Amino acid sequence: MGYRIGVDIGGTFADFCALDEATGRLATLKVLSTPDEPGREVIEGLGELGRRFDIRPGDIDYFTHGTTVGINSVIQRKGIRLCLFTTENFVDVLELARLKMPDPYHLMSQRAEPLVTRERVLPVRERILADGTVDQPLDRTSLRRAFDRGIEMGAEGIVVALLHSYSNPAHEHEAKRLIGEWAPDLPVFCSSDVWPIIREYERTTTATIHGYVQPRVALYLASLQAALKQAGVAAEPMVTKSNGGVMTAELGKSACLQMLLSGTAAGVIGAGFAARQAGLDRVMSLDIGGTSADVAVIVDGKPSYGTGETVGEFPIYIPTVSVTSIGDGGGSIAAVSQFGVLTVGPESAGSTPGPACYGRGGTRPTMTDAFAACGFIGHGNLGYDAVTVDVAKARDAMATIAAKLSRGVEQAAEAVIQVAVSGMYREVSKLASRQGVDPREFALLAFGGAGPMLGCFLARELGMRQVLIPTAPGVLSALGGLIADIRNDFISTAYYPLSAAELGRLKSDVQSLTRRAVAWITEEQKFIGSYVLQPAADMRYQGQSFEIEVPLQLDWIMAGDLERIAAVFHAEHDRLYGHSNAKMPVHVVSLRLMVVGASPQPRFATQARRDDRPTPAKQIEVYLDSARCRVPLYRRADLGHGHRFASPCVIAQEDTTICVPEGFAGSVDAYGNILLSLGQ
Amino acid sequence: MRTDPVTLQVFANHAQAAAESMAFTLFRTAHSTFVKETEDFTTGLATPDGMTFASPRDLGATWFIGLDYANAVRMIADYRPGDICITNDPYSGYVCTHTPDLHMWKPIFWEDELIAFAVSHIHNTDVGGAVPASLSRQLTEVHQEGIRIPPNKLYDQGRLNQALLDVMLTNVRMPEQNYGDLQAQIAAMNTGERKVHDMVRKFGVDVFRQGVKDLLDLGEQQARNLLRRIPDGDYFFSDYLDEDAPGGVPVRLALNLEIRGDEAILDFSGSDPQLQSSLNVPTGGAERHILLMVGYTYCLYSLDPTILLNGGITRPARCVIPEGTILNPKFPAAVGMRSMTCGRLQGVTIGAFQAAVPDLLPAGPAGSAAIMNVKTIDNRSGRQIMASIDPITGGAGGWSGGDGADGSGANSSFLKNTPGEINETEVPIKVLRYGLVPDSGGAGKHRGGLATLLEFKVYAPNTVVTARNRDRTRFSSWGAKGGGPGLTSSFWRNAGTNHALDLGNTDVVALDPGDVILVTACGGGGWGAPWERDPEAVLFDVAQGKVSEEAAAADYGLVIRDGAIDATATAARRTRMAAGAKATAFTFNEQRNDYERLWTSESYAALTEILATLPVHWRHYMKRRIFAAVEQLPASARRGDGSDVQRIFRQAVQEFPQLRQALAAE
Repeated sequence: MGYRIGVDIGGTFADFCALDEATGRLATLKVLSTPDEPGREVIEGLGELGRRFDIRPGDIDYFTHGTTVGINSVIQRKGIRLCLFTTENFVDVLELARLKMPDPYHLMSQRAEPLVTRERVLPVRERILADGTVDQPLDRTSLRRAFDRGIEMGAEGIVVALLHSYSNPAHEHEAKRLIGEWAPDLPVFCSSDVWPIIREYERTTTATIHGYVQPRVALYLASLQAALKQAGVAAEPMVTKSNGGVMTAELGKSACLQMLLSGTAAGVIGAGFAARQAGLDRVMSLDIGGTSADVAVIVDGKPSYGTGETVGEFPIYIPTVSVTSIGDGGGSIAAVSQFGVLTVGPESAGSTPGPACYGRGGTRPTMTDAFAACGFIGHGNLGYDAVTVDVAKARDAMATIAAKLSRGVEQAAEAVIQVAVSGMYREVSKLASRQGVDPREFALLAFGGAGPMLGCFLARELGMRQVLIPTAPGVLSALGGLIADIRNDFISTAYYPLSAAELGRLKSDVQSLTRRAVAWITEEQKFIGSYVLQPAADMRYQGQSFEIEVPLQLDWIMAGDLERIAAVFHAEHDRLYGHSNAKMPVHVVSLRLMVVGASPQPRFATQARRDDRPTPAKQIEVYLDSARCRVPLYRRADLGHGHRFASPCVIAQEDTTICVPEGFAGSVDAYGNILLSLGQ
Repeated sequence: MRTDPVTLQVFANHAQAAAESMAFTLFRTAHSTFVKETEDFTTGLATPDGMTFASPRDLGATWFIGLDYANAVRMIADYRPGDICITNDPYSGYVCTHTPDLHMWKPIFWEDELIAFAVSHIHNTDVGGAVPASLSRQLTEVHQEGIRIPPNKLYDQGRLNQALLDVMLTNVRMPEQNYGDLQAQIAAMNTGERKVHDMVRKFGVDVFRQGVKDLLDLGEQQARNLLRRIPDGDYFFSDYLDEDAPGGVPVRLALNLEIRGDEAILDFSGSDPQLQSSLNVPTGGAERHILLMVGYTYCLYSLDPTILLNGGITRPARCVIPEGTILNPKFPAAVGMRSMTCGRLQGVTIGAFQAAVPDLLPAGPAGSAAIMNVKTIDNRSGRQIMASIDPITGGAGGWSGGDGADGSGANSSFLKNTPGEINETEVPIKVLRYGLVPDSGGAGKHRGGLATLLEFKVYAPNTVVTARNRDRTRFSSWGAKGGGPGLTSSFWRNAGTNHALDLGNTDVVALDPGDVILVTACGGGGWGAPWERDPEAVLFDVAQGKVSEEAAAADYGLVIRDGAIDATATAARRTRMAAGAKATAFTFNEQRNDYERLWTSESYAALTEILATLPVHWRHYMKRRIFAAVEQLPASARRGDGSDVQRIFRQAVQEFPQLRQALAAE
């Protein structure tokens, strides 16, 4: 038995989780990340694991890893120089997107400049029709002309995205083959290979982002593989995916699109694990870091999925754990406008210079400074001793807005917290209405560096009655990667009625997806455990302009049980919209298949139950709910299984601080999770 | 009592949360393409008097900030918990402004006290009437525009008024769509009620009551602060719709914007008389009617996007709109196509504000997106298909800080297109081209945004294509501070063949199998002198194919040799261009200049004065008659000082004794 290691690299820290497979014990660690030299922090962290916990590379038999190399390439626009080949007369697909402007009230609103600007979008003469038939064969001369022009402009890669290629990829594949003959080393990406969905903008932008980041991510993964090998880690490294699963790093080199949003996704998987462990079936996860606050909805340990999640300024349309940004993070700056209105964010002090109280040169008041000025933090170091908190600096920064608000420093600091929380309330309300859920039926699972600070305040605002703080809230993404399943999604566009006449097509489409999924998991992943195939269909009533995803079962499809399939669609429609019509014809827009190979789920060690009362480390003075009061400060390490405690109080731990206002009752479960329940 | 600023800020977030939760609930559960793709709906919260104080920011139509339900609210005798009221009648209080918009309001009570209304509307695809989708320019009376429901209770204390619903659904073409959307709207109402109750529980009913007032007051205060930054003065702007009815003469919309300290008067006198087509905008003469204030709201918001978007911001403004004009028509004028007039009116308002603060606001937007519909038969299935395929939008105007957005933007920002792959899958057409129109943006230091273009082929006989709201074939967008106008729009059947037909402003066209339709929008106006544009930016436009090399030379003075800028030749050419230039605030296209040589502002002043004295039913007729006579005047006989118009009118009065009677009766 050895160790399973999960690593998540963020903007400031690289987080490590090491699970001892023999004892179920979890060791955690943070080291500063090295964005200029991605990968170095991994090797440094491995060294640190050895020094602190005596974990040697040779003991590691499973290694997962999430990286921000891909998403940073997009945000910083540092991907490769791409050319895009489109069907002639459709070169403006990226320019026009779906037309709608980001801020429709603003006369000067602009869409983001595409990653491939128009001079590098080149037309190819060819045409395939909606039903997949060839209207005009691929014209080699025009392809060669586009290719020559691309080379002349210094193309480092080519994306081929032709009309209706989801229906018939032949022209894209033929173009790729020809370009491969002309320039064997030039990377070529076909939109039908990356993610074959109907809707040309959505498919093209997805393929473009993939091509934009792929070479850089592949290079990074290759160097990481080499470094790990050299360090003596024999296990084949795995990488986390936006769909909440993992795949081998080797495969990640060609499927890097699937890694772009893996950091937030892994956090949600970690949150789902913690929720299951604590026995909570309906949870909203709240992840607040330095610059953003993100929420996801988790039911029965499973996150909800979405497409059209954004990478920087661009949407991508692969299945992704649905995570919604609801506001700003601990580093967000508070300001008072000319109208006397207090705002928090969107400007952020980030990690450099960071909040004023970090003493790294920041002088403007941030949300973290508000908590420091109210007395909640500053009773020890943060981030595993990486940060020392200077309360005086926080108060000085806060004084600048206190004067403008004609309030005292603490009152201003509390105002910052209230305004930030009400902004988050607004966004969570929208999210809840969009998904059709009621937050009051959910528990809030708070993590990230600043999540546990704000969690109770937001829960109170939303009428949520329970707040869960997992054992290691600062390293939940690393934990999520460690426990994630091997997972992949496949799609094919159907666009035919659900009818006996089309049953043959339905079956053969699903069979073909099944073949691809099985090949992926057994051959490409060399996965030897048992796996599950979960089909689904995007369906709608004929004439509707939108579809809903309905989970199906393979045997219904193979048995041709159309009634059953229609019935689950009607039921899902009824659940979402409050009505359905069993007589209306049903249309299948696309078919999906998910393959999941279960990762061994770790069994964490349980703590012995303690009958004593928890002892606070000291009493501290805080400003809470408009009054100064003395409250106990607990060290998280002193709280164990069976402990109960009253509010208000503050709990400090290595990677975060938990603020518990009046009204919550705390208890610690067998795994060390803290559950804060609002009394009646 | 004033709410403390921090509490008000928190309160504002909760009010927004309510309005936005309503919008997302409606959007998630709605059925029609209009809601899902065009987002033509809104939600909000209103005071017990009916003034909207919270509206969603990122979802739904952008025209309804500060919509005042007061008149409709008063038409219901008493309110009880569980009531839901509806109307879609443009002449019952001027809350609804064309029949497809079904408005709804639900009283929200707290301990027997009416504290707010949840409000919303959805544009229904069809509400019956003379034509499918209920809208056509050529309709002349509101009675032709579908069923009209005056303010009524759809739910009375939670009990559905089934009879009313049955009447409504019996009179429309696609009842299941209306019904699905109605359910979504009701769900949104209930969400709004629940959210307001949550607010009262959190803040207390006193803070709630006061907070609502204070939010509106704060909006007003912010608007006054912004208006104070605009120099006092009178700022005039006018623009035209190409036609006042199919095949007609232009419609003029005129605005004299009077800024005085922190107040604004928007005087729309000088706009056309009430029309015998459905382009009228029903406002009932309300001083701050929502449809008159959209451009104003856009301008204030663009000056400072931190401003609250609620009814308070319209308080410092007042509109002047004489009765019997296109902006204040009398019953039963048709109003279905008011959107087309409103789009142009927004541009006129932007123009007047632009004249006041030329460095802060953009040049003319393309405006008037054509909504393209195809009705055809699928040759394989024999099934009739009717579908909205795309809005054809133009660019935004350039401004001191940058170019106008290409393809859409400014006051067309909320529209979404439909993917070509979806269109070809659902409608038996073949899309031949979809993209930007090179050289369509007005030249300028900051270029106007390019127009979009759609070309497609149809395959069945008796195919009908409609292009609703299409305009700008004749008068294009305007450039500002030396920038050029955008290229006009166009509409062709079989362009580039020997049987090509220029469809002009036609909005309904019947086609044969194999016919090809080409439709382009208008470009946005440019800002600043084109020869001051960064040569590298021009070169990049040329490389991108957005500006041709010829236009780069002719409009921008950029000389390109072997793909690089010839700096010396460029400088020389640009110096010559600058020397020959006249400084004007606005630049219009040649057709407009020609037109205004014929129809001078003096002639328009005389026309406006004359028509204002006539009974309303004579006005459009007399306008047409005077136009025809002016057209006939030989160039040598035209004086353009208004006397031509007066003379023609006197002759007409001679001809119609009954007009004298009518005049006497007025």
